[in-house]
Amino acid sequence: MKPSLITDHPFGEDYAKRLGVAPWRGHLPGPKVEEWRFTPLRSLAKIAFVPATADIDVDVIPRNVPKVPGAVRLVLVNGVYRKDLSDTDLGKGVELSHGKVAAKEGSSLVALNAAYAPASLALHVNGKAKKIIHIISIGAAGPTPTALHPRITLTAEAGASVTLVESHVGLPGEAYFSNPVASITVGEGASVRRYVSVDEDSEDFHLATSLVKVAGGGTYEGFHLGLGGALTRQEIRVALTGENANVRLNGAYALTGTSHHDITTVIDHTLPNCTSNQIFKGVVDGESHAVYQGRIHVARDAQKTNAQLVHKALFLSRGPQVDCKPELEIYADDVQCAHGAATGEIDPNHLFYLAARGIDPETARSLLVEGFLADGVNEIGDEAVREIFGAAIGGWLKRRQA
Amino acid sequence: MALLEIENLHASVGGKEILKGITLALEPGEVHAIMGPNGTGKSTLSNVIAGREGYEVTKGNVWLDGKDVLAMAADARARAGIFLAFQYPVEIPGVTTSAFLKTALNAKRRAAGQPEIDAMELLKLVKAKTAVLGMPYDMIKRALNVGFSGGEKKRAEVLQMTMLEPIVAILDETDSGLDIDALKVVSEGVNSLRSPDRAFLVITHYQRLLDYIVPDHVHVMAGGKIVASGGKELALELEAEGYAKYLNAAA
Repeated sequence: MKPSLITDHPFGEDYAKRLGVAPWRGHLPGPKVEEWRFTPLRSLAKIAFVPATADIDVDVIPRNVPKVPGAVRLVLVNGVYRKDLSDTDLGKGVELSHGKVAAKEGSSLVALNAAYAPASLALHVNGKAKKIIHIISIGAAGPTPTALHPRITLTAEAGASVTLVESHVGLPGEAYFSNPVASITVGEGASVRRYVSVDEDSEDFHLATSLVKVAGGGTYEGFHLGLGGALTRQEIRVALTGENANVRLNGAYALTGTSHHDITTVIDHTLPNCTSNQIFKGVVDGESHAVYQGRIHVARDAQKTNAQLVHKALFLSRGPQVDCKPELEIYADDVQCAHGAATGEIDPNHLFYLAARGIDPETARSLLVEGFLADGVNEIGDEAVREIFGAAIGGWLKRRQA
Repeated sequence: MALLEIENLHASVGGKEILKGITLALEPGEVHAIMGPNGTGKSTLSNVIAGREGYEVTKGNVWLDGKDVLAMAADARARAGIFLAFQYPVEIPGVTTSAFLKTALNAKRRAAGQPEIDAMELLKLVKAKTAVLGMPYDMIKRALNVGFSGGEKKRAEVLQMTMLEPIVAILDETDSGLDIDALKVVSEGVNSLRSPDRAFLVITHYQRLLDYIVPDHVHVMAGGKIVASGGKELALELEAEGYAKYLNAAA
């Protein structure tokens, strides 16, 4: 297996060999890779993570994992499927299998995942899935810094529909580095909704890659929530491979302390009459650092493309940093594409209005922050999940005040 | 004892004195109107009483039912019973009117040592109040003031006033931006709240509003002072003759 992005990175393969560290340390994208310019991995590379083992003793699901009403729970611990912690009845239309992960082309992180992923948790959907599938990925380092490589594959056949919720959480212990990869195929006229929540502890790393393909007439709705972690990146690459395919990709993040959170999206419009809409909103406090990169590529044949993206960030103090890079690459001439980006602070007129109704400043700020993020959260199509994610943001605000 | 007592109030903005000694007492049940030309300090007076930042009180006192208003933060003043109906209510995206009402009402209830209201009770209360005020109940599902027409915003202010049951309500140019129908609805809402244990301070530029909300006392403000006081007939006189003679008196 030859990873694609090693190049002249200081933690290159030879360097890794010479020092006798795990070879995957050489597979990190370096600062000269444009897509990683705002998210340096120096802090990650300093820690000697060892590949996860399956024998870690975990028999409880962490408390910060929400209960999704009526959902089937599938649990991964350190990337390994745990049947004993999972529900078995997936409901009609959904089949579960475990496949060996093929080492495919992809970024260095995807290659790294392929090299170490124990097996793929593969879901196959035919028809309309009745139950929400809730995948809980637990990182558990124990006494040694650990790297885990969860792998999820979801295939929705033509006309199928399914809703997937993913909770990425950790157990106390040493730091871990989670490198999940999700490969999602949305068949013709199929509909996949996928709601991802990353709520790692403040010393943990999470570099997730989502590879999504949407066939003609298919719809993919993704939502990505980020609430913590030392360094989190949620990279979502969507290829619209048939006509009249639609993607809605939204998200919200709330950062404090020294958290670094990166949302990188790449939408590939290759054929005519497809739409893509993105709304990402975030609040930043402390010394946190948020990154949003959104690239929309519209090929010459992709006429009548409608592609929109919006990113807005709200500063709760003067310490944080926000980098925003929208990129439109358009080769077709009959398209509607736009991007908008804005950053700001809480409006003192809003605070006074709430004060004039008897609301104390802390509560007022929380209300305004929740309101700001609601624009993104309200895009979540499933009502129960919308409430759960809204409550998670409420919890973050309470922790921040405490 | 007066519900609101303003004693020789002086206030500046950015070092410039705007209020130059306002003295006013609102007795229980009374409606006082303050009229005057633009730029004379009417809105400054309402902002100073409500506690907006950026105003420096250099002299004087404000008492709410015997409590020292100027010693309290804006939110504490509101919980103590002061309500400012804004000239331009702000739009707050993402915050639903119902979530906002619940938060405001519970802040007040907690301060008064009363149990908090839950979502169901709130809906019931809002249903009852909106019915009385002739407002669409659906309004509370929308984000606070976002996309509301001028009239809807002012009605929302009256709804909030109805729910928060203030001791003293200050209406800052509530008539601005209202057509005659909206003006009637808003005025009826205010009139329904008139009671012997509440007082109103109605700030307006035009006499028109006072046809609907009939004041007990009318004051003319010019150059940061109250230069004349009288009954409701004073408003009619101002409408006919304008503010010219008071401007000269203030100069």
